[in-house]
Amino acid sequence: MTISFLRRSAVALALGGLTVLPSACVAPGPVSGPAYDNSVGVGVDYYEPYGYDYGAWGSGYLVGPYRDHGHHGNPGRGNPGRGNPGPHSYRSAPASHAMPSMPSASRSGGSHH
Amino acid sequence: METLDLSAPDQIRRRRTRSDRARRVLWQGVLAAVFAVATVAPVMAAPAEVPPIVEPKSAEAHVGKVIFVELVTPDLAAAKQFYAGLFGWTYRDIQVGGAEYAEAYLGGDAVAGLVHKPIPAGEHRQPAWLTFFSARDVDATEQIAVQRGAKVLAEPHARPDRGREAVLADPQGAVFAVLASTSGDPPDTLPAPGEWIWSSLLTSDPDTGTSFYQTLFDYEAFDLPADAGAQHVLLATDNFSRASVNSLPAKRPNMHPHWLNYVRVDDTVKMAAKVVALGGRVLVEPRIDRHGGKIAVVADPSGAPFGLLEWPDTESKEVPK
Repeated sequence: MTISFLRRSAVALALGGLTVLPSACVAPGPVSGPAYDNSVGVGVDYYEPYGYDYGAWGSGYLVGPYRDHGHHGNPGRGNPGRGNPGPHSYRSAPASHAMPSMPSASRSGGSHH
Repeated sequence: METLDLSAPDQIRRRRTRSDRARRVLWQGVLAAVFAVATVAPVMAAPAEVPPIVEPKSAEAHVGKVIFVELVTPDLAAAKQFYAGLFGWTYRDIQVGGAEYAEAYLGGDAVAGLVHKPIPAGEHRQPAWLTFFSARDVDATEQIAVQRGAKVLAEPHARPDRGREAVLADPQGAVFAVLASTSGDPPDTLPAPGEWIWSSLLTSDPDTGTSFYQTLFDYEAFDLPADAGAQHVLLATDNFSRASVNSLPAKRPNMHPHWLNYVRVDDTVKMAAKVVALGGRVLVEPRIDRHGGKIAVVADPSGAPFGLLEWPDTESKEVPK
């Protein structure tokens, strides 16, 4: 056994480990769909058009949820604050339906209300 | 040619020296191989597929509910650090089709996915949180959406453990995703602080927007009081509020329509300050919303906007000013 043979063997062993390892370590089963594959032009990794110009939320600009206190919407009548509400292109909930709130039960089963 | 005549002790010494060198080289090789394995194995052992959104599997299905969100960011490491510092999220790193992905967890439950995507030099792109709505049939939902004027950004496709999904832009341009989760939907419980609690669409045409999403998810739509010229609509299914649809702010008529998601927090003012301390920005200062809910809009260090919503257990006496 010569030194050069041993040296070549050692290098081969190291390279072999590096070569075989990737295929051995990849989890079996199907690979992901096209979502993260750049061959698809736009995917889940899509970026929004640049520039959100936030601010200027006036006092009546309310975007949050309601609570369960028997609030009702204004079905088919538009918004009270609007001067001349026209008909909607969507179906408004019936006036008899109270406005729902968010779930109140905690994950452990208790209730926050 | 004359052979060199060595004495027996010299020959033995030479053989020993050669043998020692050989052994040393062999050991170096073995060490190199071990080092290579130790270095590469952790990377290669990372899972190759995104995990389910609900573990263990549930039989729940809540069509129209926001069931997951994914951040697309050019700096995954910075994003992970930011959200971990802000909400205490922990992560599981995943290599998906060559892309880096981190699944975020809070208290053992998956709360979000973070996707790394570099922004090409010279391009301006807006990092954002993508909103996933529960759908029963992604392909059918996509077809209806297209008939109603949506644009398909990613055709329906399966992610084995996650489910079937598609990415769309609604007729006004707001980007969203639909997902038929293979593990079922998260239960209808009040989110804990650090979890997503609310979503609102800011759009140039709330009327058409409401009609569009109502067609997709069969929402009940409740018209809400609004300032003159504005429109606010609440969307509900299963007798729970799911989201709101809102006109763009009056002084921001050219803002790009988009979905904004809110994380529940205990104290909006404190958390907004923490956002800044961690390298983010405050876009809308903390303000009282309906029924004492206190809202702020902030951006992470890469500029991705999201909301903070303080939702006390009992209604606050504070009123919007």
